[in-house]
Amino acid sequence: MSSDDDIRKPFLEFAGPNGNYYANVFLKIQKATLSRTHLNPVALVGSFVWAALRGNWLLFTIGFVIDLVAAINVALHFKFAKAAVDNVDRAYLVERYEGWSQSHIIAAVVIFILGRLLFSWLADRLYVIQYNRWRVNNSVNSGVSMARLVIVTIVSALIVPPMIYRASQFSPDARTCIKQDRAIDRGEEVSFKARFDCFAIGEFPTLFWIERPDQISFPRDENGERIVQRTPPREGSPPVNLNTLVAQKIDDGIGYVTVFYSFLFDEITRLLRTMLTVITSVFVGTPWPVTMGVLLFVAYRMAGIRTTIFVGASLIYLALFGFWQTAMDTLSLVVAASIICVVIGLPTGIWVGKSKRAQFIVTPILDVMQTIPSFVYLLPAIAFFSIGKPPGILATVIFAAPPMVRLTALGIRQVSEDTKEAALAFGANPRQLLTKVELPLALPSIMAGINQVVMMSLSMVVIAALIGAGGMGYIVTEALENTETGRGVLAGVGIALLAMMIDRVVQKANLGRR
Amino acid sequence: MTDSNCANVVETRNVWKIFGDRADEALEAVRRDSLSKDEVLERFDAVVGVRDVSISAGAGEIFCIMGLSGSGKSTLVRHINRLIEPTAGEILVNGVNVGALKPEELLAMRAESIGMVFQNMALLPHRTVRDNIAFALELRNVDIFTRNNVADKVIELVSLKGYGDRYPSELSGGMQQRVGLARALAADPDILLMDEPFSALDPLIRRGLQDEFLELSASMKKTTLFITHDLDEAIRMGSRIAIMKDGEIVQTGTPEEIVTKPADDYVADFVAGISKLRLVYAHTVMINIEEFESEGSKLPAIEECPWAHPEDDLDKLIGLAVNQENPVIIMDDSTPVGVVTKDALLRGIQGET
Ligand SMILES: Nc1ncnc2c1ncn2[C@@H]1O[C@H](COP(=O)(O)OP(=O)(O)O)[C@@H](O)[C@H]1O
Ligand SMILES: [Mg+2]
Repeated sequence: MSSDDDIRKPFLEFAGPNGNYYANVFLKIQKATLSRTHLNPVALVGSFVWAALRGNWLLFTIGFVIDLVAAINVALHFKFAKAAVDNVDRAYLVERYEGWSQSHIIAAVVIFILGRLLFSWLADRLYVIQYNRWRVNNSVNSGVSMARLVIVTIVSALIVPPMIYRASQFSPDARTCIKQDRAIDRGEEVSFKARFDCFAIGEFPTLFWIERPDQISFPRDENGERIVQRTPPREGSPPVNLNTLVAQKIDDGIGYVTVFYSFLFDEITRLLRTMLTVITSVFVGTPWPVTMGVLLFVAYRMAGIRTTIFVGASLIYLALFGFWQTAMDTLSLVVAASIICVVIGLPTGIWVGKSKRAQFIVTPILDVMQTIPSFVYLLPAIAFFSIGKPPGILATVIFAAPPMVRLTALGIRQVSEDTKEAALAFGANPRQLLTKVELPLALPSIMAGINQVVMMSLSMVVIAALIGAGGMGYIVTEALENTETGRGVLAGVGIALLAMMIDRVVQKANLGRR
Repeated sequence: MTDSNCANVVETRNVWKIFGDRADEALEAVRRDSLSKDEVLERFDAVVGVRDVSISAGAGEIFCIMGLSGSGKSTLVRHINRLIEPTAGEILVNGVNVGALKPEELLAMRAESIGMVFQNMALLPHRTVRDNIAFALELRNVDIFTRNNVADKVIELVSLKGYGDRYPSELSGGMQQRVGLARALAADPDILLMDEPFSALDPLIRRGLQDEFLELSASMKKTTLFITHDLDEAIRMGSRIAIMKDGEIVQTGTPEEIVTKPADDYVADFVAGISKLRLVYAHTVMINIEEFESEGSKLPAIEECPWAHPEDDLDKLIGLAVNQENPVIIMDDSTPVGVVTKDALLRGIQGET
């Protein structure tokens, strides 16, 4: 049967030692007749050493990690067993440590047995993939090579001892290590083990200590003018780490700006407050029957009868549960923030859509604005504008403006070159091109942007209640503080209805336009 | 057919267009070493769009530019209204150098004296048919009343009456292209640039639109640069045809000249499949009477022979020659000037004269 030999030849060539076994297995795999429970006995015993000899680094990693985890659990078992003995006078600790010690030894056994079974089950099934790669590219590892054992030894020597050591010791806490650093500074003797533990198995060590910077304050001088005053740190006060230093620098910077440019922030605050007053007077200052009627009418005109029914039901919910004024308060904030977002976002979006350079500059800024958790925006808002509605609106604007810019730019960029060319061919100047061709064609995308802005504003306005922006969010924060679950749930549902209401109306209005 | 005496309305002089960052460098090298399109692409990473093209179209003429896709037709025609700036050479429209126009003048020229029709129509989907048509007028700040009036007239002209308030998406392809044509005509320009206007349409609709356009053109007499990749269409529409290949003009001439005397194998290949019946005329296939007789044949009595004018086409000659032993006599002002035998007729149909 020479043809059979022909078929087996590449397998034998690839596998080298023990080739017949692999030829059989690979043939079965190719014919899809390999038993589901087939295990490689050599791999079962040899584990990652076998994988290394065969040059399969994926299997090596799997086998190595399985055995390492088992070993670590053994180490943990001994660590807690010893701890139980050390704390023999405290019964509750003994009980706890013995429990842990026991569960770790069980885990070690289970992981070792199941892991080895899994490994030997995977072994041939992954090894055949290596064979397939080797068929395409003959430089892929094949056969068995003792040289690879060297790598195994080095890797094991580098990884295993620290891992096991870490598992068998209780790690020192950060404060202990800081104290120890200072003790070393004073020239005291510290045992090598304690130093090593702080360096290698706790928090990442503080590599350098920095001298405490000057304290900065801004008192008034005799003329009532603000001045910058630096107070050097007290003699002998301990040094600080990088985090403390930079955080303080940031605080100093913010403090400086708020003290010397306060007029700027006051002006912005005043502007926002004025705007908000106008909007609030519409929503809150109007008697509820009028507002409700107008809202229903707008919903009907923009989105049809079904949405109007939904809007009506939601409004009744808000009214019946006593959320009317608060909801209108929230709506005013949302409208104010959305208007600012559109006023800023639309021109920026057009600019980004038209200029490659603007895109290059603005896109990373937008990415940052969108990835920073929304809570973080509250901090600078408070720092510059203290608490209340204006900083709430500003934090909301920062959070909600990016989609406006992005979607406007997208819409502008989507306008086909052919259409623009046609407009140019008929003598359109750049302004006409923008207003008569690009903006109208980008309108669906721009409207989607506005929709996003409104929704994101609503979610941020709720969070902004934390800094005193009031509205529905305030009820929720209050409920959170006093664990009034019922009140919180009712307000939460109210917010959800508010959001869905706005979303439905704006989206339907969008679709209708198309 | 061409009135070579009338002033050239559109003229390009040695226009070159090379796309790419190193266009000027490439241009110099091409001029010096006459590199091919591929060599330029390889050496300068630049694409030769138009290569030393000089054409001129007279008033009222339909000047066809024919070539395969990628041969530079669109690029060339976009130089006329300066949607594309030439790398070298100049473009004259009504004797004015387009490259020297100030921005305001250029916009005025585009809006008022040049209309353009595009293969993909490029209508504005958010505007009604009427507003699309009135677009050029709107850009010039013509008042709404006037431009609606003008638009309605043009709508009638392209047989779209009653569709003024529809949106382009509600119209079929053929009707959309009528809107495209109407938009180009609305400002009553002297010049029409038509970039494969009918290429995207079904053959039947295309045929109809071609006829309609020919009719319109005959009455409006606008100088038209008509681009097509279809020689049949070029022959139907054009009073003259320029054939482009790799950015170059390989031959310019009347349809008959192109068909009967192709300048090179490239043109000959194109022409091979074309029906000559309406393109070749008696004066091309006839032989002189003396020559006829010197070959030993005897001319029958003239009264017994069918006769035709020198400008009659093969189609007519075939009609005369069937059921007839005698050759066709060609008479110019009642004096016989030549003879067309059946052999000559057959050769003529084949295209070999
Ligand atoms: N904006 C451009 N940038 C680079 N190359 C272009 C550009 N426009 C056209 N070309 C190239 O110029 C050549 C002529 O194109 P085009 O004028 O569109 O041909 P046609 O209209 O005859 O099909 C083609 O090789 C095309 O790839
Ligand atoms: Mg083209």
